[in-house]
Amino acid sequence: MAESSILHNTFVVERTYTKPTGKVFAALGDPAKKRRWFAESERHDVEVFDLDFRVGGRERASFRFKAGTPFAGASYGCDNLYLDIVDGHRVVMASMMEFGGRPISASLITFEVLSIEAGTRLIMTHQGAYFEGADGPDRRHQGWRDLLERLDRELVA
Amino acid sequence: MERLSERPRSATLLAEPLGITVAAVVQHLAVLESSGLIRSEKVGRTRTCRIEPLGLRTIEDWISEQRTLWERRLDRLGKVLDEE
Repeated sequence: MAESSILHNTFVVERTYTKPTGKVFAALGDPAKKRRWFAESERHDVEVFDLDFRVGGRERASFRFKAGTPFAGASYGCDNLYLDIVDGHRVVMASMMEFGGRPISASLITFEVLSIEAGTRLIMTHQGAYFEGADGPDRRHQGWRDLLERLDRELVA
Repeated sequence: MERLSERPRSATLLAEPLGITVAAVVQHLAVLESSGLIRSEKVGRTRTCRIEPLGLRTIEDWISEQRTLWERRLDRLGKVLDEE
């Protein structure tokens, strides 16, 4: 039976920061600042992080999972293209994600930077198309555990 | 399932070390296939079975993982801003 192998999904993450919009916007485009919040994580090493923050510019990030994580040694990364930048207000980018060299999703990511009394409201909207076989290392780990439990039940039956 | 996780195998190869009939293995594989845990492919007279990675978790799970990733990132952005 023909079945679509792509799943579309949109999610929104919002935060309020006490800093003015100029400061928040700067952290979206400054390579050193963005590396700290976007790329670095206790779960992986950052092998590549390049940011060319202008319309038509690219952003490339490549990570490798650290020892002790379910996918230790595996690589994943993203290749982003800046589609629209309105200084102090908006950033729109297209993002391709790969895991172990295999493309797993393509997304449109929009940041809206709004001035509010308390400081800044940041709204990130992530509209993604997920390809067949898209998965996450955590989920794969969990998946194997689930699988073994299901196998146990299967063998008992 | 353990032996399938190494590489795809035919029902005959799976039956051998278990000391059960190929028919019994085929029946078992049919149950696993209907649960979405494996898939099989017939080439000539041989049916080869492999683990179905998508049966292990869903794309929905991966999306929720992506959401968590972005939640963490925007929390870290808050910390970076606070340190300025």
